Amino acid sequence: MADKIKVGHVHMSGCTGCLVSLADNYGGLLTILDRYADLVYGLTLADVRHIPKMDVALVEGSVCIQDKISVDEIKETREKAAVVVAVGGCACYGNITRFSRGGQPNQPQHESFLPVGDLIKVDVYIPGCAPTPQLIRNVCVMAYLLLKGNKDQQELAKKYLTPLMQLAERGTEACGCDLMYDVINQGLCMGCGSCAAACPVRAITHEYGKPNVNREMCIKCGACYAQCPRSFFNFDVITGFEGILETIDGALK
Amino acid sequence: MSKIVEISPTTRHEGHSKLVLKVDDAGIIERGDWLSITPVRGVEKLAIGKTMDQVPKIASRVCGICPIAHTLAGIESMEGSIRCEIPKDAKLLRIVLQCANRLHSTALHNILILPDFYIPGTDKKINPFTPEEPVRSVAKRIQRLREIGQTIGEIAGGEAVHPSNPRVGGMYKACTPRAKSKMYDLAKEGLVLAHEQMDFMIAVIRNMQKRDWTEVGGKQIPLPKTLGYHNQGYMAADPMYGSSNLDENPGWDPKRWTDVRPWDWYMGEGEVSLADPSYPIGGTSPVGTKVNPQMEACTGVPLYDGAPVEVGPRARLVKFKNYDEKGTWGQHIARQLEYTDCLYTIINALDEYNPSGKILADPIPQGDGSMGWAANEAPRGTDVHLAKVKDGRVLWYEMLVPTTWNFPTCSRALAGAPWQVAEMVVRGYDPCVSCATHMIVIDEDKRIVAQKLIQ
Amino acid sequence: MELSSEVNMMGTELGNYKLCVSARSTDKEILKKAQDGGIVTQLFAYALEEGIIDGAIVSGPGDEPWRPRPFVATSVEELMKSRGTRYNISPNVSFIKEATRSYGLDRIGIVGTPCQMQAVRKGQLYPAGLRDVPDKIALAIGIFCMENFPYQSIKQLVEDHAAMKLESVKKMEIGKGKFWVYGERGQVVQLPLKVTHKYEQPGCHVCLDYVANLADVSTGSVGSPDGWSTVFVRTKKGDDIWTKAIAAGCFETKSIEQVKPGLELVSKLANEKITKNQKTVEERAKFGVNKALRNPYLSPK
Ligand SMILES: Cc1cc2nc3c(=O)[nH]c(=O)nc-3n(C[C@H](O)[C@H](O)[C@H](O)COP(=O)(O)OP(=O)(O)OC[C@H]3O[C@@H](n4cnc5c(N)ncnc54)[C@H](O)[C@@H]3O)c2cc1C
Ligand code: SF4
Ligand code: SF4
Ligand code: SF4
Ligand code: SF4
Repeated sequence: MADKIKVGHVHMSGCTGCLVSLADNYGGLLTILDRYADLVYGLTLADVRHIPKMDVALVEGSVCIQDKISVDEIKETREKAAVVVAVGGCACYGNITRFSRGGQPNQPQHESFLPVGDLIKVDVYIPGCAPTPQLIRNVCVMAYLLLKGNKDQQELAKKYLTPLMQLAERGTEACGCDLMYDVINQGLCMGCGSCAAACPVRAITHEYGKPNVNREMCIKCGACYAQCPRSFFNFDVITGFEGILETIDGALK
Repeated sequence: MSKIVEISPTTRHEGHSKLVLKVDDAGIIERGDWLSITPVRGVEKLAIGKTMDQVPKIASRVCGICPIAHTLAGIESMEGSIRCEIPKDAKLLRIVLQCANRLHSTALHNILILPDFYIPGTDKKINPFTPEEPVRSVAKRIQRLREIGQTIGEIAGGEAVHPSNPRVGGMYKACTPRAKSKMYDLAKEGLVLAHEQMDFMIAVIRNMQKRDWTEVGGKQIPLPKTLGYHNQGYMAADPMYGSSNLDENPGWDPKRWTDVRPWDWYMGEGEVSLADPSYPIGGTSPVGTKVNPQMEACTGVPLYDGAPVEVGPRARLVKFKNYDEKGTWGQHIARQLEYTDCLYTIINALDEYNPSGKILADPIPQGDGSMGWAANEAPRGTDVHLAKVKDGRVLWYEMLVPTTWNFPTCSRALAGAPWQVAEMVVRGYDPCVSCATHMIVIDEDKRIVAQKLIQ
Repeated sequence: MELSSEVNMMGTELGNYKLCVSARSTDKEILKKAQDGGIVTQLFAYALEEGIIDGAIVSGPGDEPWRPRPFVATSVEELMKSRGTRYNISPNVSFIKEATRSYGLDRIGIVGTPCQMQAVRKGQLYPAGLRDVPDKIALAIGIFCMENFPYQSIKQLVEDHAAMKLESVKKMEIGKGKFWVYGERGQVVQLPLKVTHKYEQPGCHVCLDYVANLADVSTGSVGSPDGWSTVFVRTKKGDDIWTKAIAAGCFETKSIEQVKPGLELVSKLANEKITKNQKTVEERAKFGVNKALRNPYLSPK
């Protein structure tokens, strides 16, 4: 099928949990590969050993700047891919590798791990640890519509992806503190509880309606802030939730 | 004169690794070095000073395929250090989670290895993603088995990838009767599919075992009957779950464990002198490429009783069920034989589980710096974590993860095979390389013993 | 700014809906302690009994008097404990993932304020941390909301302004331009809303939704007579459930055109809220000297 987009999975210093999440679309993954995307690269799933040209690169993991292969690969990814998506907390924000500080044999010099966006321009963010199969799926479907769809579909895809692109522009730092800095301190929190639901390490509780972040549990994945309706809320897309969810469901039937 | 071939990176497994192979004129491997080239995120070192609650959550994230093993081994090493026994119902939920993860992981591994195998009775290799039958039905069954595993894990463990429910002292949340019956129904459905999938895989593996050759990069490569044979021992802590220092009869012994550095184990500097651009896909490294495994390897070499050991499904079956089939095929068969056990164990654990039982120890001691360890039987082998906790903070932490144990063993198992099928031997271990980044404590005396054993 | 002004267009303040009626539960037990027409409790009870939902995330009594606490109700008995409005924050969405985990729900019901409905829909379209939740939302019931309060505000309003002890309050209500406090022994105190304003939750001042435009079904007291509720049926799911519930005799209904004060008041209040808060959003853009406060409707930056 000539109409498919070319997608690759680039594995930097991540745990492969992001890829497992992609695969956790189960039957939907098979449909995506049948109809919308050719997996042209992904060491865990295919035998291709060198990064080819592709439409969309899904990058998992942060980059160890003391490892030349990693640095070369991420630069090559940017050159070869039209759209670079940082998948998961490690690629977006560093996640647990923010805590790395070297000193461990057999490569004690491996000390500095940077989110992908600190080395190359990243187009779209999918935060979370692990990122969810559903958000990865939605982004894949929208990327397909953006590149291969008709005018209306392209319009929708653009609107859908906009906040995820803005998250990429926002920066490479995230943790539970963002709820304090950019929501509560900004007078925006209304106590919905989304942040607590989103946190993958149960670092957030609600005390009298407002989030409390246990900072000695937080792993810096960025899920809470991305999930918060007061980080972004794009009426033009979310109001159409019924139709969009139906479209995505339909695409994967 | 022997030549050096390098396959870098290796594919269809988790993480980054490569093969440096010394081969004879016929292309048969004389000495193989399989090593991790995944950057070392250094979890053992970054753990120091952090809380005993956070460290297992970080440890989980060294591997997204056996995050359950790392979470549980991490937590239980902390519990081992602070001497905290957890309530029975918490333990049962952990067992359910453990088996659910093994089910999903084994099914995922099926997808990764199928391209090495033929549809029985044909010379056609299997592409698991083709929409054509009979493969599509198999792919769907694999995905459903994974879905069953991941969903049960999600209910018992809070998340399908990195579980959020386990914590030092037990679990955060008990499962309600509805959750229990949902897991039960899923396990029942899974059992039927697991039987079918096991039979299918065994037929495919046995068919391969009968073949004299396999096609690699357009050439027919002979398949030795002894593919993947080695003479190392086996190590397993338990048939299904694991063991810790709190057990009455621990299944693992820290005194029997030592380490050597890659420096003492792997080949030194060399240069690629044989290249094959037709090796799929993209070829082997070009002639002249400098290689230096002892400098490049990212993991240490752990030994048990002074020698490398194999861990994983076969090791468990050898230790606990008198299994004796050697080589790569025997290893693959052993893994399929574990399919249904995962589901039987889930069902039995759920039968025992009481939704209104206690799930958190009270009180939870904060630790005095004593050493604790837990050996969890991850899908791909024994995952040992060791910890010292004082006042709720981690003083010392070590992770001896399955693939780290298997690197040296598998390297030995490569000898005698044509280099083109080396990756097939590697995949027999279901390697999970990202997590295989372990720090080393050298015991000077034993290091010499180990070196001698290896030579 | 473009996007947010879109919702402020006259005529969109009530959101999309297929049907609007005035209604009341036919179950006397539910009505005994329901805030208004018992729509929320009745609809969940029906959906539970019919297997449309496996459980509902609702808000029930917490550790202190009138302090709400979200919980997952899987029986009508439990639902009964959630009847009535507690005018302070109940983070209902915090249970949305756990409901699918240790509770084992496949079809979730959830009730919440308009902002909580927004959270649910954002969670379905952008599930950053809500794995496997998006397809399990079976019935989202929204309740109208002008503003909410921190717990301490309610304490001060009741104990200082209304001079009553929180534990002896039977019901609180906002309606007819007043904050009403009803005591266990029959006392009734009404406070003018200008007293309550300063106590409001600041996050409510940028809220651009009054009648839970993104719910499957949304309901509130405004527009209908005492003891009755105004109900908007909005989505296919909502329509399906509502139609079945009516057929099953769960509700008495009256045409919204026939009741007083009717839809006009709902529209008026919705427009007032949105206009006022839209202004706040705009003023935030020039809050400092060449420095803006964040506008979540434009970007996460
Ligand atoms: C903060 C707040 C402000 C409101 N403002 C208005 C208004 O301006 N105009 C108007 O017409 N209606 C308003 N309402 C809605 C109204 O008070 C009733 O909740 C609604 O009419 C439902 O009544 P019922 O009899 O159908 O529900 P019932 O059957 O009594 O059930 C009430 C449901 O509301 C839920 N609930 C109670 N407190 C909260 C809370 N703090 N957060 C989330 N859920 C809660 C409970 O879980 C329960 O399921 C407001 C409600 C709240 C919580
Ligand atoms: S974001 Fe989480 S799941 Fe993804 S690579 Fe990092 S640790 Fe693994
Ligand atoms: S998700 Fe909800 S509760 Fe959490 S910070 Fe955002 S608005 Fe507040
Ligand atoms: S508080 Fe939780 S969700 Fe937020 S960044 Fe930290 S770990 Fe992630
Ligand atoms: S006014 Fe808006 S933000 Fe405040 S509680 Fe009501 S719906 Fe939520």
